[in-house]
Amino acid sequence: MILKKIIQKIDWVVAKFVAILMGLLVVDVTWQVVSRFLLNSPSVYTEEVALFLVLWIALLGAAYTYRKGAHLGLDIVVNKLEGKSKVYVQKAAEVVCLAFALLIMVYGGFELVLLNIQLEQTSAALQMKVWIVYSVIPLSGVLISLYALERIFSDVDEMNSEQI
Amino acid sequence: MDIPVIVLLLTFVVLLLMHVPISISIAMATLFAMLFTIDFMPAATTLAQRMASGVDSFALLAIPFFILSGLLMGRGGIAHRLIEFAKVIVGMLPGGLAFVNIISCTLFGAISGSSVAATSAVGGFMIPAMEKEGYDRNFNAAITVTSSTTGLLIPPSNILIIYSLASGGVSIAALFVAGYLPGLLVSLSLMVVCAIYAKLRGFPVGKKPTFREFAKKTLDAIPSLMLVFIIIGGIIAGFFTATEASVVAVLYSMILSVFVYKEVKVSQLMDILLKAVETTSIVMLLIGTSTALSWMLSYENIPQAISSGLMTLSDNPFIILLTINLILLCVGVFMDMTPAVLIFTPIFLPVAVQLGMSPLHFGIMMVLNLCIGLCTPPVGAVLFVGCSIAKTSIASLIRPLMPMYLAMLVALMLITYIPSISESLPIYFGLYEK
Repeated sequence: MILKKIIQKIDWVVAKFVAILMGLLVVDVTWQVVSRFLLNSPSVYTEEVALFLVLWIALLGAAYTYRKGAHLGLDIVVNKLEGKSKVYVQKAAEVVCLAFALLIMVYGGFELVLLNIQLEQTSAALQMKVWIVYSVIPLSGVLISLYALERIFSDVDEMNSEQI
Repeated sequence: MDIPVIVLLLTFVVLLLMHVPISISIAMATLFAMLFTIDFMPAATTLAQRMASGVDSFALLAIPFFILSGLLMGRGGIAHRLIEFAKVIVGMLPGGLAFVNIISCTLFGAISGSSVAATSAVGGFMIPAMEKEGYDRNFNAAITVTSSTTGLLIPPSNILIIYSLASGGVSIAALFVAGYLPGLLVSLSLMVVCAIYAKLRGFPVGKKPTFREFAKKTLDAIPSLMLVFIIIGGIIAGFFTATEASVVAVLYSMILSVFVYKEVKVSQLMDILLKAVETTSIVMLLIGTSTALSWMLSYENIPQAISSGLMTLSDNPFIILLTINLILLCVGVFMDMTPAVLIFTPIFLPVAVQLGMSPLHFGIMMVLNLCIGLCTPPVGAVLFVGCSIAKTSIASLIRPLMPMYLAMLVALMLITYIPSISESLPIYFGLYEK
């Protein structure tokens, strides 16, 4: 399926991107330590950059982790179920994740971005527009929705194959 | 109870049982409960905003770094050298390898902040090694799982950083130092269990090392153990903040594992970074959503209601503390540690303070209590890792775990009712005043 291939490609890009952000975070805070101890002039920007990076890592990473199915959860009940009922519950759980991504991250996050554009909020040290930082919330929401849809539909295939 | 609270609990439990991720269950339950008092648009926006601001703290930045350094230590041969060092110290005792296992986990905990990393790094080596010497595999896994939780009390510890946030600013340095004695007490009580087992079952006795071996293994371990002095020494001396210390830990363990021990190739760093992102995002999403839930609870005045309910239960501090411990034990069985600390600290801390307990002492008690939950099904993250490494089932681990739960409970009671176990070291170092 071509859609599946595209999603895999997106996932690959996201994985590389967050790993690089994590590397940048190490470099950034290292620079903070170096500038404070060795150069005696603590950088005013590093802390803010670090906080932006960690938000992006946390949320884009959350989408990547969601696709891997690595978020912590309680599978004891679902594992007891069998056949069709198991597939239905699994599918319902993915629908809940889809709802979370769409309602809170995409919709709530988008409203938050709009609000920050209207208020023209800028960050203290860098004078960067806050909405750019927050735009990672709806962006990750779109990714999680995409991955949830992928799972919901592959579950349907699973169900069909079980019926045969 | 109010209707929003009932909706909150019901939604949370139902979603959890459906195997929706814990963080997403928390967020959706919060959203539903909020809809009783707030319109949909502001509710969704507030949630998104709370999720983002929940992780917006410089102190929390230490978490991804301690995760990353833990991964580097696990793969970079540091764990292996700590094990060899523990072997020349206690390997010759009856049941020596069991003690080696506990001490290695404790040492690993003293340089990394994650018990999952300790379980996989030490357990991956010790569980098969002990089996070869005739120890029972399930016993080996049980001892690794329980003793690796000491790393959460012994600094550096990510969960103590999270508690510092939840408690509204207990000093991270004080919490870190406070964790040493309680952590050592837990490993000591686990060693007592092993000593009894060794006596009853006649566990094998290891070889006594020659002086040459002793000197060599100790020298090998010194660069790894140096991390304790660099990180914790730096924090105690007021040289570093916890976040700065954590990035130093990353650099030090990276240099050690890539250039000195040469067990990690530069090309593998990308993988390790990605693995660190994975764990970080799990914890951060939990922090973000739990902060939103905690905000909602205080909006509904739940902490006050529970506090006054607890205080009317009894006027005996002993009983109330016991009740809090029992509730937390149940919470720990069903909930991961991060949301448990963020949600229940604002609820129970005011009660504990009213009883004359210091926030520092309460934090240590709470973390140790929840550590027990990490080793119990159905949501014990450390237990799962231990099982998958030992290639055994959770059910077969329960029996050997029983006496170890008991040992941890004894340690918990001592720490709950004797404040000086937690408080004397930070007071000695001038990091805390009663």
